[in-house]
Amino acid sequence: MIDHLALGAIDLLTSPGDLSSVIVEGLAKASLYLMIATGLTLIFGLMDVINFAHGAFTMYGAYIAAGLMLALVTAGMGFGTVMFIFIVVLALVFVLLAALGTVLEVTLVRRLYEYPPIYQILLTFGIAITLEQFMRMIVEFRNINNGQWNFDWASPRRQTLPSELGDAELLFIQFTNLQLFEIMLGALTAVGIWAFLNKTRYGLFVRAGVEDEEMAKALGINVQRTFTIVFAIGSGIAGAAGVILMWDPLWSTSVPLALDVLLPAFVIVIVGGLGSFKGTVVASLVVGMIDALGTWAFTTGVIQFTGIDELMIFTILVVTLILRPRGLFGVEGMGDHG
Amino acid sequence: MSTETTDVDMANSWPVQYLQDHTVHIAVVLLFVAYPFVYDILVDLFALTAEMVLPEPRTMLTILALGLFAMSFDFISGYTGYLSFGHGAFFGIGAYFVVLGYNGQIPLLPAELPFMMLMLMGALAAALFALVVGLLAFRLSGVYFAMITLGIAEIMYVVSQHWDYLTVDDSDPATGTAAGSPSDVELFEPVIGIPFIDPLNATVHPAFGETTFLGINFGDPVIVTYFAIGSIVLICYFLMQRIIHSPFGRVMIAIRENEQRAKAIGYNVFYYKIGAFMISAFFGAIGGALLIVINGTASPDTTLFFLVTGFALVATIIGGLGTLAGPLFGYIFLEGVEEFLARKASGGGLQPWLQEILPGSVLNASVSGVTVDEGMNAFMTGHGEFYTGIIFVVFVLFVPIGMLGTLRARLGADSVADWATTRIEKFRTESESEAGVEPPASETDPEPESDSD
Repeated sequence: MIDHLALGAIDLLTSPGDLSSVIVEGLAKASLYLMIATGLTLIFGLMDVINFAHGAFTMYGAYIAAGLMLALVTAGMGFGTVMFIFIVVLALVFVLLAALGTVLEVTLVRRLYEYPPIYQILLTFGIAITLEQFMRMIVEFRNINNGQWNFDWASPRRQTLPSELGDAELLFIQFTNLQLFEIMLGALTAVGIWAFLNKTRYGLFVRAGVEDEEMAKALGINVQRTFTIVFAIGSGIAGAAGVILMWDPLWSTSVPLALDVLLPAFVIVIVGGLGSFKGTVVASLVVGMIDALGTWAFTTGVIQFTGIDELMIFTILVVTLILRPRGLFGVEGMGDHG
Repeated sequence: MSTETTDVDMANSWPVQYLQDHTVHIAVVLLFVAYPFVYDILVDLFALTAEMVLPEPRTMLTILALGLFAMSFDFISGYTGYLSFGHGAFFGIGAYFVVLGYNGQIPLLPAELPFMMLMLMGALAAALFALVVGLLAFRLSGVYFAMITLGIAEIMYVVSQHWDYLTVDDSDPATGTAAGSPSDVELFEPVIGIPFIDPLNATVHPAFGETTFLGINFGDPVIVTYFAIGSIVLICYFLMQRIIHSPFGRVMIAIRENEQRAKAIGYNVFYYKIGAFMISAFFGAIGGALLIVINGTASPDTTLFFLVTGFALVATIIGGLGTLAGPLFGYIFLEGVEEFLARKASGGGLQPWLQEILPGSVLNASVSGVTVDEGMNAFMTGHGEFYTGIIFVVFVLFVPIGMLGTLRARLGADSVADWATTRIEKFRTESESEAGVEPPASETDPEPESDSD
């Protein structure tokens, strides 16, 4: 077994084509993971709320985007037009999900800030169940009427993903342009959130709120409103991540997407350290790379276990928590009891 | 004069005191025992209406098994404050141990051992596994503890989905093991009871088990299974409840209330936490084994899946976190809602009732191309989770201490049983003083060893 793995590793290191593909794929996966986890980390970092409805927001983003893209994109459109529509849909989904986040924060989440953290987990878990089942209702509603409205939710990807985002080759590196696009979006997210936190007035409020909520309040910062805005931005990013997942062939527009997104997002936030955006970026890279390695090992037959990527993700979680109980960049005391 | 003294002695002897302390327990157990018969009578009288509102005895079986699991979840999460988010792992170990053991797939164990043995061995295996998990996980607290247990359970879930050792006849691991299903060579027939005492044993299976128990013919294997599973759940409940009211349990609560202080007093909280975790895993695994009695098979999605723990959590909150019996009532509520909105084939519910009550013209009235009946299909039937989700949110917001917790707060007692005991005590003392007998103040325990309901 060890020999087998060692041979596989030598194989990979001596083949620049394979190695570079794994790195590109790893970066693409890392970008997706970053987009999934960013909202969660922002919300937790400021508000100590572990948002279990996060995956449901992403799932809603994917469904809304699938519907909109299908309605707006027609067969003869050029690459530029499709990308323009995609960006518009991305923005629209961000706004819609941010609005949903705002409504939920103002009506429900806000009531529980004074309670122990477990009650926020419970509340958002309840919201998640409800949202997921509601989407299931809508999807199944289309299926009644003797299947007249039956709809294949994989079709938006097939029909609206431009062929320009397909396979490409540069020197010996093989990748898809979709992967490059994902890496670009991931980098934009990282830079955008960094700029938001470090260069804007609200970012300052957010950091102040994370540092010392009482003091921030005493200095006249409207922490309540900052909470609402961060919850809205976090939900919006979750939805926007769903838009790109709609195009990615490794994910699917389906109700279980909610849980498929939620669990890796948790892993990344915890591995990176609760409340640390830097940690989230690093953890996304680590998890993305290891995930890509696992996929490579499975497709080349080095490891013959179908669930390898999921297995790797949760193993990373457990091993990290054993070795570094606060995650990579975690702060002492955050997320503990009390 | 001497007769009066004996009366007082009699009234204060320990069995009487014991029964008095457990009045509420006895009442609840009697309600559970009577339920299948009451259900039959009510269905005879009110037909579909009763079927709609009440969970059928078949559903009660699932409620008992999952309720025991939820109680074990509450045991660790509600009493020590450590949220065991991967509790499904222990449930899964209990379930898979029975199935694999029965098929002779566990090394060193002969095939087809009696169910009771497999159940207990599986529970011990789960407790040992909890020891390993606990050694790793109890170095952490809060969210990190929840996440490491979740991570370990998810690893098991992924492995169980893809590991063909867990299946019989090379069937697809994701859809589950084949033990007990008709395609298997031998049907899985668990015998529940006390070994070597024939009348106290029964082969149980809701579909083809025995119909006779203790020499009484109940005419329905579901009822015999219900009593058999119910007795195991009852025993487990009393054991857990006993532990919680022992000094060990008091330390658990101390850890929940203030771990630093418990440590400062001199308790080695680490050992207590691991001990509690192992006990909790033990009973969780028994719940898993009972699920096999009902379903006949184990599959990753019904045992190890994250949402199995998720719904135990929902039941616990609805019933009351830290109330032990609460999660069982929470599950009755959850499954009740689920069945209320189920399709006709599975126990009746709102839709069959409406189909019976409403005239065809209303049912077939169409709103933009969809008939009312189809609309019900889409928005209610089979979508119990949507409504339980909303109910759950309402509970978290407005009844955060759950049904049983609220009842306790209303009665102003530590437990419902406490309240009943004091009421009975008061009533007896009053009637005795009216009769001119001195109240036996010195002999009554000022703090009767009572139990949470």
